[in-house]
Amino acid sequence: MKILLSIPFLIFMPLVISILLLSPLFTNNEIIVRRFSKSIFTFHFLYSILMLACFSQANPYVSEIHFLGMDWVQSLGIKFVFKIDSVSMILSVLTSFVFLLSSIASKYNIRKNHKFYYAMLFLLMSAILGIFTSADMFLFFLFWELELIPAYFLISNWGEDGAKKAGIKFVLFTFFGSMIMLLGILLLHYYNFVSNGILSASFSDIMVSSLPGYIQNIIAICILIGFGVKLPIIPLHTWLPDAHTSAVTPVSMILAGILLKTGAYGIYRFNYLTLEDSFKVIAPVLAVFAIVNIIYTAFVAYAQKDIKRIVAYSSISNMGLILLGLCAYNSLGLSASVFHMVAHALITCGLFMVAGIVFLRCKTRNIDEICGIASNMPRLFGFATLIVLASVGIPLFAPFVSEILTMLGALNSDLSDVIKYIGVFSLPLLILSSCYMFKFLHNSFTGNLPDDFEKINDISVHEFIILAAVLFGLIIFGLYPNTLLNMVVGG
Amino acid sequence: MINDIFNILLPQMILALFIVVQLILSMVLSPRYFRYARLVSIVGIFLSILFLTTVQVEPQYFGFHNSIMSDSYTLLFDFVILVCGFFVALLTRNLVKTIKRNAYTFHAILLSAIFGAMNVVSANDFLTLFISVELLSFSTYFLIASSKGYYSKEASFKYLLTSTISSGVFLFGVSYLYGITGSINFSTIYEYIVNQESSILYSISAIMIVLGLISKLAVFPFANWIIDVYKGTESSILAFLSTVPKLAMFGIVCRLLVFPLGNSFELTFALALSTLVTAFWANTYAIRENNVKIILACSTAANCSYALLAASLVSVYNLSTVIFYLICYVFMNLSVFAFLNIYGDKNSQDVNSFKGLFHKNHGVVGAYAISILALAGFPITSGFISKIYLFTAIANSGLIFVPFLLILLLLTVYALFYYLKILLPLFAKFSKNDNGIEIKYVFSQKFVLIVTTVITVIIGIYPEKFIELCRFIAYNI
Repeated sequence: MKILLSIPFLIFMPLVISILLLSPLFTNNEIIVRRFSKSIFTFHFLYSILMLACFSQANPYVSEIHFLGMDWVQSLGIKFVFKIDSVSMILSVLTSFVFLLSSIASKYNIRKNHKFYYAMLFLLMSAILGIFTSADMFLFFLFWELELIPAYFLISNWGEDGAKKAGIKFVLFTFFGSMIMLLGILLLHYYNFVSNGILSASFSDIMVSSLPGYIQNIIAICILIGFGVKLPIIPLHTWLPDAHTSAVTPVSMILAGILLKTGAYGIYRFNYLTLEDSFKVIAPVLAVFAIVNIIYTAFVAYAQKDIKRIVAYSSISNMGLILLGLCAYNSLGLSASVFHMVAHALITCGLFMVAGIVFLRCKTRNIDEICGIASNMPRLFGFATLIVLASVGIPLFAPFVSEILTMLGALNSDLSDVIKYIGVFSLPLLILSSCYMFKFLHNSFTGNLPDDFEKINDISVHEFIILAAVLFGLIIFGLYPNTLLNMVVGG
Repeated sequence: MINDIFNILLPQMILALFIVVQLILSMVLSPRYFRYARLVSIVGIFLSILFLTTVQVEPQYFGFHNSIMSDSYTLLFDFVILVCGFFVALLTRNLVKTIKRNAYTFHAILLSAIFGAMNVVSANDFLTLFISVELLSFSTYFLIASSKGYYSKEASFKYLLTSTISSGVFLFGVSYLYGITGSINFSTIYEYIVNQESSILYSISAIMIVLGLISKLAVFPFANWIIDVYKGTESSILAFLSTVPKLAMFGIVCRLLVFPLGNSFELTFALALSTLVTAFWANTYAIRENNVKIILACSTAANCSYALLAASLVSVYNLSTVIFYLICYVFMNLSVFAFLNIYGDKNSQDVNSFKGLFHKNHGVVGAYAISILALAGFPITSGFISKIYLFTAIANSGLIFVPFLLILLLLTVYALFYYLKILLPLFAKFSKNDNGIEIKYVFSQKFVLIVTTVITVIIGIYPEKFIELCRFIAYNI
């Protein structure tokens, strides 16, 4: 069984498929390309589920690839080594799931260059899975950079007006962050070598305890800036609303659902696990940033007219919650954080899908112009209401669990009183999310239907499947959160 | 085979022989046979590479009363210079077509430039070095001026002026150094310097010598020429200009920094400052520009300044990173200029006139895009691993240099912006009223483009052997 379940297959299968799609030999037929891609995504999802089913805490998947019997770059101690622990496993399955949903959603949204589009999707998937599974800093950085290319094309090529600019903004912001992160990684690599005598970039070989404190802090801050752009932490967030709004719906789903989580995962992997000592120092400050994320973006979201912008800002707000969970620095906070990554991925996929459906039918996303569409689209209204309810943290849905647990985690934090106070205030502040969410729901769905929208249809089968899958996930994890939580805590 | 002076000089002598052959052919053959000039050059360079491989790596050899030397370091640089020359000679087809009458003379000059570059690296005293540098420079003036039109003459003249001034600075530094040590031989100077306290006069002479030499790399005091020269020069000559002189100058500057000039902290400081200024200037200048050649000029200056910063913080490890960076860099650049050669120098070099080219020919434009991505430092290409390897060298040099590294890293974000400026129009929407640029190429152009791109990707995926080679070279200097 172990032979069948290999990490390289999980990561490199999408890469191979991507190259296959890019080759001129592959057919240009739109339907074949779409169905082929969809079946591969389905297969990949089932495969990752199988890996999840056979996963055990005690025996995580590890795989090391040698080139001609040598490490990848032996002179720098860079190895081609992958490891899946519990958090990586959860996020890998989530990646696979979100990409499957997004490929289903692509049918109505993608009108040109199908081969290139799906090739880029597979390439992005490969890069993201690489980020989640690599066990070497430089390998992590390689995938982190690699992800920019498909992400840029996905945002700009199929997006609306202004997508090119948003794509460039996204690339430049992320590249800025990753360059500062590279500085941190280089310093970490060098000082680890100097103090421990091991020339290696693997996470398992890095022991920072012997490093001077100020060096650790410099490294931690450098790396944090890199992930802060992706997460995003507040002053570094301005790329996100543009990119998420101007991208096409399936791409927005991937961006908000998975790409932001790579930032959170990076903080977990580098700062939380590797640079523990300096994380304990930084955590209270970071918690302040987290609460600013939650409050500030909630107000900004309330002021928006565009549905996608509302959802985009709500994503930043939710990422603040994930950050707060990590800052608590205890198992409760960590498990809440990972749980919220999953819950938020589901919610944001659902919300972007709703926004995309409305935009396809009404040709506008302005909530002042859209009203009363509930009378023509009752099923969409039902789904939208349920997903909005889930997102504001109503019991029985998954986000409720993670929000409560984040607050408890923050309250139980041993690090600093600041985190406890922030924990107390974080939950009431989530009421703000209900303000903008219900504003969106109320404005666009209720009221009198204008004549322009008389002819719009309710959701199709594809859209139904996506929304139902999202809702199913939200309810399942809301009712049985323990499986997921135990998995994280056990790790 | 035993290493003797004949054996070591054989590659250079082959080149010299072919220079003479070209000159004779230029007199004997009628201009109708201009096509064979390229062939003769290619055969000459190929034979030279062949004989280079017979030279023994060990031990070090000093010849002609210590005025030239040969070791693994010079052999590697000679080899890379010859390979670059080989690719450049392949690319000259379009240029030779326009100057039919002078085709053989042109190729004789090209070979003499390569000859000069090889001699620069193996020089072991300042006289040999100066003569070789001048041979390289004078050949380069003619090469730049060889294409038709006003701009190439202007470019050539500007290059001439800058080079002359920098030669003056160089000679001034050498005269001081001679005054201090009483010798122009590297080994003698090193033996004299290594037992002495560093004096301010020694530092001044060292700074002047190095500044005179690095004007060819377009580093700060003599950096401006690169914009005008690149703008007016034909792409195959640019492929030469951005690789061979850079390799030669890095080859000699690194050796000077390790041996005769290695005793001066002021030199390190001056070089670090001047490279930072160059990197800042080049990267910010390129943002405003829309001409691809000018952007690539800035990119060349920026890349050279990164490598020179690592080289100036002298250590054996840094030297290995610099050599690796150079090897990666020349192949990326050759690939880029091979594409510009295919694209044609008569067409507008504005980034917007490249619009939608990707849809006309996937293979060729795709290879070009990969090379630009490599220059920007994206993974799976050699640009990624060489940048990381180079930056480890600066990070390892101590905490004082961390701010330097931070500035360089932030400047690479600027660099990414202008690389995207080149890259993105290629994939833009295919408009119907485009400017009718066709991608037409012959085998030799495509050969250079594809081979250099494949080397770039291979080094990116499997760099270990190349890094090992560079380490071996650096530890044996």
